[in-house]
Amino acid sequence: MSQALREFLMRKAKLEKLFKWGVRWSLWPVHLVTSCCGVEVAHTSGPGFDAERWGVLPFHTMRQSNVILVEGTITRKMARVLKMVYEQMPEPKYVLAMGACAVRGGLFWNSYHVVQVDTVLPVDVYIAGCPPTPEAVIRAFMMLHNKIKGQPGPYIEPTKVDLTPYLPPPPKPQQKPAAQAA
Amino acid sequence: MAVKAPPKCPPPADHPLLEKLRTALGDALLSHGVTPEGHLCLMVPPGKVREVAAKLKELGFDHVLSLSAMDYMAEGKFLVMYVYASYLNPDLKNQLLHVRAEIPRNDPKIASIADIYPSADYDERECHEMFGIWFEGNQHMGKRFLLDPDCCIDEKTGKPLYPLRKDFKVPDWGLMG
Repeated sequence: MSQALREFLMRKAKLEKLFKWGVRWSLWPVHLVTSCCGVEVAHTSGPGFDAERWGVLPFHTMRQSNVILVEGTITRKMARVLKMVYEQMPEPKYVLAMGACAVRGGLFWNSYHVVQVDTVLPVDVYIAGCPPTPEAVIRAFMMLHNKIKGQPGPYIEPTKVDLTPYLPPPPKPQQKPAAQAA
Repeated sequence: MAVKAPPKCPPPADHPLLEKLRTALGDALLSHGVTPEGHLCLMVPPGKVREVAAKLKELGFDHVLSLSAMDYMAEGKFLVMYVYASYLNPDLKNQLLHVRAEIPRNDPKIASIADIYPSADYDERECHEMFGIWFEGNQHMGKRFLLDPDCCIDEKTGKPLYPLRKDFKVPDWGLMG
């Protein structure tokens, strides 16, 4: 009964769009600070960049949140904890792999004790950099927005500013001296 | 490409602590050197590590900052390196004392100093699982401390491998991981 009611609400009553809108603007990442990338995430949530404009509220317990932001190197011991943490989170849940270490091992590539995050969890968005800037983290959350909307890909158009009135005029090409007759 | 191994002890020079240590340690002092930072470095025989540690405790060194090892694979030896320092003694302020001992690589055993200096306990356990050096007297030998229980185990024999030894081979991830 409840399944049929859920089907009705999501499909027929067209609540799916509303549901996605709600999920999109309340992405609460768990801080899983295993490396220096945690410093950049602190900046992301700070007043300078203020990722809460996009609904990104840093959270400390995984049972009440829906995004896990893997900040840095994952060792084999930490990978067990990461998997446990991920399985405690309620659906829908998303994984962001932040930094070179989480994506491909980074500095510790081919080490005896480092694993890549995508061998443990299904990663939604990768963030490149060592460490990535707060802008890159915010951009990854925008990509996650697009993924939830159903149109994955970085659909962020850059802001175009015409600077030509403020720049000095380009130098004129100097005329070549005429070739002397031999 | 042949990589030249670093020297086991820096070149000898004068040091204000040297006379005091020479009278205190006696024949336990094999040779000495001074590092470029100005810290004294002593080579001691591996059988007298506990005796040296007890005497240094009397002299005022109250903790072991670091305990590590170095693998000289070509010579078949491990160099166990202790770094002593003092928080409380004003005469030993800003001084680090390096104490080094050589042990054979095929039978790496050395006495534990964890009961004299409790701060050396964790370092000994780490050194044991990274290099396979057996610290006799430490109760935690043979157990995993930092490494994952499934990591670094020989598939054929089931014995643990030691990842910081020079002959350890990491599994190759390939070009793109």
